[in-house]
Amino acid sequence: MESDKKLEPRGRRYQGDEITVYWKPSACIHASYCYRELIEVFDPGRRPWVDVSAAPTERIIEVVNMCPTEALTWKWNDDAKNNLVTSDQTNHVLFKRPELLEVKEDWEEKPLSVRIMKDGPIVLKGNFTLEYSGNKKEVKEGIISICRCGASNHFPFCDGTHRKIGFEDK
Amino acid sequence: MENNDVNKQLPKVELIDGGPIRISGNIILEDLKRDIATRGEQTVYLCTCGNSSHMPYCDESHLKKFISGRE
Repeated sequence: MESDKKLEPRGRRYQGDEITVYWKPSACIHASYCYRELIEVFDPGRRPWVDVSAAPTERIIEVVNMCPTEALTWKWNDDAKNNLVTSDQTNHVLFKRPELLEVKEDWEEKPLSVRIMKDGPIVLKGNFTLEYSGNKKEVKEGIISICRCGASNHFPFCDGTHRKIGFEDK
Repeated sequence: MENNDVNKQLPKVELIDGGPIRISGNIILEDLKRDIATRGEQTVYLCTCGNSSHMPYCDESHLKKFISGRE
């Protein structure tokens, strides 16, 4: 079903029997947790790319909660159940991921997390200064992914192209 | 980087034009494919051209890429 963007600020909508999953393309950094964990449900090569009937609901929720941004979010179709959800369900529509909340006072002390994704990008999370092609900016409590396959159309940022070209690091 | 100023110093991420990305400062580097992690003050050069034989680190393969005329 086509979703009305005004009515769906969380992005495109994929409704199953028990839950609805949303995907907001503008928030996606292609960290690739979703399809590495559950390709049956999250298949970037398929249209629609999300099929919420392809795995048990609990497993889908678990994988949506792994999304490091708010690109993927979910909710129960039964509203009474949504009110019982706790904040450990990081990507439920009622919650914001802790790292996306207001900047904390001790932000300077934390190390920067640099994750090399399997056959995917470098995901940087935390506080850092970023310099590229003459741009310099300070990122606070931010998350970005850097292309590692060399083929991104938005270089130096990942745009998911590694998957299309079958990038596999040695 | 002065030792007495270490808490004020944000980790620095710098993309070297046509080359690797240099990350320096207090970082936790996790390589999910090889299941290794290093933490603490360090400077690393990570490959962004896709051709390194020592992933995720740069081995200057990007230079060959240019010489051979590939994009």
